[in-house]
Amino acid sequence: MSTRKKRSIFDIVDEYFENLEEWTERFRESLIEKPSWNRRACTIEPLRDIMVAPAEVTLTVDLPYAEENTIQVKPISKDTIEILAKMKRKVRFDDFGITHYKGEFQTLHCQTHIPVPVDMDKMEIRFKKGILEIRLPRKHGYEIPIE
Amino acid sequence: METKDVPHGAVMLFGFPDVGLVGVIAASHLISELNLTEVAYVDSRLLPPLIVLHEGLPHSSIRIFGNHNILLAVSETAISADTIYPIMHTLVDWGRDKNVKMMISMSGIPVQDRQDIEEIKVFAAASSRDTLKMVQDKGIEVLKEGYMVGPQAITMQYCASKGVPAITLLAQCFFKYPDPEAAAEVLRKLTKITGIKMDVSKLLDKGEEIRLRARDVMKRTQQELTKMKKTQEYDIPLYVS
Repeated sequence: MSTRKKRSIFDIVDEYFENLEEWTERFRESLIEKPSWNRRACTIEPLRDIMVAPAEVTLTVDLPYAEENTIQVKPISKDTIEILAKMKRKVRFDDFGITHYKGEFQTLHCQTHIPVPVDMDKMEIRFKKGILEIRLPRKHGYEIPIE
Repeated sequence: METKDVPHGAVMLFGFPDVGLVGVIAASHLISELNLTEVAYVDSRLLPPLIVLHEGLPHSSIRIFGNHNILLAVSETAISADTIYPIMHTLVDWGRDKNVKMMISMSGIPVQDRQDIEEIKVFAAASSRDTLKMVQDKGIEVLKEGYMVGPQAITMQYCASKGVPAITLLAQCFFKYPDPEAAAEVLRKLTKITGIKMDVSKLLDKGEEIRLRARDVMKRTQQELTKMKKTQEYDIPLYVS
């Protein structure tokens, strides 16, 4: 049975306000609609899905045209993962018949927040049928024994 | 609103945004393979203030394409959960007015681990026992018990109440990602039922392009599916006899 490390009240309050600030920022971003492409960075944001199960978190990302050997999965914080993949070919707005925007894209890029504590070091990655699957085991706090 | 003469006695198909965008992708392929032309469109204040521009000209987001024996209703944007009933009822009533012999909805059924499925199954539901038997005789597996959520559910239920033969074809697909392979399977089963022959190899070849183009429509569709509580399709039903 693991024991809980004692923290001061000030640490707990600081952590609370940090989490609140992060949550507010994410909420604000979710309300602002923005295009799924970024002309300056020449990137397209792929579709993704996250499933939280009791033992693990599964993040899937749809990566059409991605070159498998260029896929990068990077934990950038304890709860955020960045995914980058180069596309097999450049895609332009012209390819879709769109002439009022100019731009070309060659990278798929996204950052995803993981809503529960996970162990990033034990990440398992699979790429099949153009879908990237990332499995992360969950971290749990101390267990309360059942008597 | 009709823009051309509409044939009577045709088969009416529906391809609306849903899981995997199966219906929309299948409909889009049908339009290009069979050279279907626009014969009508939906004009309603229930629709959002949105038009689709093709070659610089404005079009309604919900249009009906056709030839001498097919009518195909397709939507290029997600239909709001609030407006599904009046829109689908209007389309079915319009089809009845054109004496369509059957209505077929093309859509998907979301499955977990879709990536690991090598052979995609297509299930069918029908509006009457005779239609169900016809589908089974064609070798298509029937969706016996469960929930159906979305435009195809409303179409099926309304057709059943009006005595119009209707079938819903549902291919196993991704919940949140465009699925051209599932669309191809639905089209193969459609050929079995209707005899409409088409080549799906081009659809599969363009799979990655379709997945890239369809991202934004999929995202919008997801928002509407959440409002409709689409995940109820995963629930085990309680059958009250």
